[in-house]
Amino acid sequence: MSADTDTDADARAQLIDLAEEFYEQFEGGDVPTMRIPTRTKSNIEYDEDKNVWVYGDRESTRTAKTISGAEKLLKATYTIDFLARQLDQDRSSTLRELYYLSESWDVDEAQFNSQDESNSLIEDLEIVSEVKREDFHMRPEESGAKVMGPLLLREQTNRGDREIHCQDDVGQGGYQIPNNPDTIEFLDNDAEFVLCVETGGMRDRLVENGFDDEHDALVVHLGGQPARATRRLTKRLHDELDLPVTVFTDGDPWSYRIFGSVSYGSIKSAHLSEYLATPEAQFIGIQPEDIVEYDLPTDPLADSDVNALESELEDPRFQTDYWEEQIELQLDIGKKSEQQSLASYGLDFVTETYLPERLDEMGVL
Amino acid sequence: MTSEQSQLGDGEEIAEELAESQRSISIAEFFEKNKHMLGFGSKARGLVTAVKEAVDNALDACEEAGIAPDIYVEIQEAGDYYRLIVEDNGPGITKEQLPKVFGKLLYGSRFHAREQNRGQQGIGISAAVLHSQLTSGKPAKITSRTKGGTEAEYFELIIDTDANEPEIDVEETTTWERPHGTRIEMEMEANMRARNQLHDYIKHTAVVNPHARIELREPSEHMKYERVTDQLPAETEEIRPHPHGVELGTLIKMLDATDSYSVSGFLQSEFTRVGGKTSDSVIDNFRDRHFGREMSWTPPRAHDPADVARALDAAVANKGAEATAEFADRVADALDGYDRVAHHELCDLVDDVADDIEDKHDVTFGSTVRGNACEAGWAAIVGTGDALGVDDADEYEQLRADLYAVVDEVTTTQKDDATIQGIADRLAPKFGDSDDARHRLTRDEIREFVRRAADATEEYDDATFGETARDNVVEAIWERARRVPDDPPNVTEIAGDRDASSELLEAMRETDIIAPPTGCLSPIESDLIEEGLRKEYDADFYAAATREASVHGGDPFIVEAGLAYGGDVAAEGKAEVMRFANRVPLVYQRGACATTDVVKQINWRNYNLDQPGGSGIPNGPVVIMVHVASTNVPFTSESKDAVANVPELESEIELAMREAARELKSFLKKRRSMQQRREKQDKLATILPEMAEKLSAVTDNDDLDIDDTLARIMNNVLVERQRDDDTVRLVIENNSDRAADVEITDIVAGSEPVLPNGDASVVEMDGEWFVKWSTSVSAGDEATLEYDAGADAEFDISVEGLEDERVTIDA
Repeated sequence: MSADTDTDADARAQLIDLAEEFYEQFEGGDVPTMRIPTRTKSNIEYDEDKNVWVYGDRESTRTAKTISGAEKLLKATYTIDFLARQLDQDRSSTLRELYYLSESWDVDEAQFNSQDESNSLIEDLEIVSEVKREDFHMRPEESGAKVMGPLLLREQTNRGDREIHCQDDVGQGGYQIPNNPDTIEFLDNDAEFVLCVETGGMRDRLVENGFDDEHDALVVHLGGQPARATRRLTKRLHDELDLPVTVFTDGDPWSYRIFGSVSYGSIKSAHLSEYLATPEAQFIGIQPEDIVEYDLPTDPLADSDVNALESELEDPRFQTDYWEEQIELQLDIGKKSEQQSLASYGLDFVTETYLPERLDEMGVL
Repeated sequence: MTSEQSQLGDGEEIAEELAESQRSISIAEFFEKNKHMLGFGSKARGLVTAVKEAVDNALDACEEAGIAPDIYVEIQEAGDYYRLIVEDNGPGITKEQLPKVFGKLLYGSRFHAREQNRGQQGIGISAAVLHSQLTSGKPAKITSRTKGGTEAEYFELIIDTDANEPEIDVEETTTWERPHGTRIEMEMEANMRARNQLHDYIKHTAVVNPHARIELREPSEHMKYERVTDQLPAETEEIRPHPHGVELGTLIKMLDATDSYSVSGFLQSEFTRVGGKTSDSVIDNFRDRHFGREMSWTPPRAHDPADVARALDAAVANKGAEATAEFADRVADALDGYDRVAHHELCDLVDDVADDIEDKHDVTFGSTVRGNACEAGWAAIVGTGDALGVDDADEYEQLRADLYAVVDEVTTTQKDDATIQGIADRLAPKFGDSDDARHRLTRDEIREFVRRAADATEEYDDATFGETARDNVVEAIWERARRVPDDPPNVTEIAGDRDASSELLEAMRETDIIAPPTGCLSPIESDLIEEGLRKEYDADFYAAATREASVHGGDPFIVEAGLAYGGDVAAEGKAEVMRFANRVPLVYQRGACATTDVVKQINWRNYNLDQPGGSGIPNGPVVIMVHVASTNVPFTSESKDAVANVPELESEIELAMREAARELKSFLKKRRSMQQRREKQDKLATILPEMAEKLSAVTDNDDLDIDDTLARIMNNVLVERQRDDDTVRLVIENNSDRAADVEITDIVAGSEPVLPNGDASVVEMDGEWFVKWSTSVSAGDEATLEYDAGADAEFDISVEGLEDERVTIDA
């Protein structure tokens, strides 16, 4: 626990430093200003050293010159005060709690208007103070997803350390990833690879069919856009246990972004890419190519799908030959398919035919 | 006609009957019939008009005499009647003139003058007197004292309505406390239903006459408008009429009355803006109308059958073969140099050559010979006359060919050859057979030729020859016709000939003549308009514009506009529109006035005013004022309530209003941005202190002073005091994007400030020292004033020259 307290003290000091900075700006008669990288896809670039996508040089400035800027800085100040106190008291809260808690602040202008606002302020503070929100003791509402597979780990909980085997000690639902996966220590494993699955239905299918057992796979449920904890755990499984990571999603543009955030990092949290992204992750499918090859049942692309695909073509993270080929093919056929469409060849098709074939192609099996 | 008339009524009886009922109409009857036109249509209105006429007269009289007007108007209830008293401090009226001024209609000094005046017809005040006498039966009581006069004259008079002459009841001298001036008292049937219009009239009069002091006392109210300037309106000078502004009757009268003999002299001496060149242009245009022009034709060329030389040779007898032949050949040769030739040009040529031959051959070419030669040569050119042996069939052949070329040139290619030939063929004999062998024709006559030719061609040749084509042909022929050299008739001849007068008038109108001079106008001028508005309306903003003079129908005019916005001006409902003509407020018939129409047409939204539907009178705290000054304001009726819709005038009104409104727009824009700045300042003034307080708490530091930051944020000018032992430093930091001209007064108490020599000055008053410093700090710059003061000095600083929103004082 001593290490933990150090982190807390560091985090607190970083926050206070930020407040000091504002204080000095006022004292010098200057206009308080906070500079943060612009968080848009046009301002992310590939970091060759770390193999992840990080923010570029473009910055936006929050300055007290405008009313909205001044309000943001006021909110930031109040939030810093709140976080510093939370760290002092060794407590934690959720992002949503922060939003509601702001209602109790005495100055109307300091209160948040929406949770998006408080979420993005926390992200701002993460970037400027270079402290992760987990270290502020802020957690998201929904926890990380679930893992099933041959892995033995130890987790620090409020009720003490627990040793858990992710097949033997868990139910059908699997092991629940905690909000801060850095409290986990890997003890032992028989795993060959990590298989991240987008939908709960498919995860359940794989577990029911015993895929984890048969192929020594760690099945990680992403549950839509994966939470930070899920991504962090995935990265640790890859980095620490040297396991190849594969991602299995629907065959539509939104799912490619899920793969993107596992593999390349998300735009909103590019400042944490180094910590969250697994650049070596591989995409299993459903690939547009698979839709053609396996003649899967499809839905036509909606206008929003087409726009999303076109926007992905401009996304620096997707500017690889593989993705350009796949996305253009999809635009060409104008169709998309879900993971579950594989069931049109029977419930076992995915575990007995599709996945083994794809994993073989990819050199994982 | 005469015979028919007498037949109608069976002899003379009817005429006699008619004669019995014909008698002169008394002015009283005339007035009764026309009183609505003169503004006395109702009892309520009559009172307002009477006030208006009396006040207008008073103002005019004072201004003419160069006296700052001081006018007192009182309305009293007097039994069944109302008593109206109007007093001025004008020059007074002489004993001889006075009865006529008030007791005779259409008596005045201004009707004939082309000069801007309030009254013009000489109806006003006497009509008021008549109105009073007809409704109450009481005489008007007039007191007048001329400047320097020891006593005042007092008259009681009525108008003898049969004779239109004053009838004096009482005439005596009296004493009066005013050193000079005029006072009129009238009783009339009236009521106060038009009180609003009365008040408007007085108030608006005060607005446009800032040099006047006006007081109104009526049964229920007492209003006083003080003078705000001693500057009287510029004196106007009378101008001669402008050629574009006269009518036929006036012109004939002027022709009768002038001392000039020639038209040129008449034009130059009786009209404004006519010099030698302009009068020549007018006379040229007059010649075209009066004499017509002479058609010119292409002279026959060497290969043509018509032989001018032979014709001339034949026409000249007994002058010796050699001289005759040389004469004929030289004229014919000279003609080759002419593209086209008209009759008088040929005659001039013949004259020139004849003179030469006379010198050379010592023969005499008398006028008969020359005349014969000219006629013979002309006959050869136009291709007529038996002498040439031209066949009837070929008669006018030359004219046909000539006209064909003309018509062909000006008609479209769609006209087929036969039609053009048809027109030319039919036109040629009309010229050839015309009464005037010189082919001297007016434009109307040419038009008639073309009409007949075209009609005939349409009828017989089954062709069409429309109006445009006809006009083009007329124009082409008229262009080829030559202006004649004849001298215009003299003035007496023209005056005696109505047609000639009318031709002269048309010629005057057709000629371009520069606009009349504007010294005859007396605009209020924009600064005094603003002054006047400022006096009567406590607004936030005033603007005014005075346009350059323009002309309508020979009368110069100037339009001015003013605007007042905000402050105490009523914000609810529509803007107040004040209309003025020659400084007289127009309070009736707002809807019929060109001014109102223009206000409604303007898109006031462009000027940041509220205007529902994008047209109509704008809403909000606005007063709009328009003044039209002219030697002859075009009114819709004699009661002079509304300005007529004259396009030239409307366009000037619009431009004047737009000019004033542009200033309003930038004011409103600035005001809005100041308001935003203030709102922002207020908002930041709550946010930033909270933030500073929180920061002090979080960082565990001292409390913060954030004034400097605020000044910088607001792009304000920051005035800051720094003290360093005995040294006081005032720093002005300009954070805005434009230069700041500031005037700082630092009041120092308790210790005498010591200043180095510089821009600042010190004045001591009651133990306090006023340190004054004026400086200009450019955008983004800083300026410092440094002086010494003892440690126990106390300061009180004030900063002027900038809006409060733009200054932050931290001193």
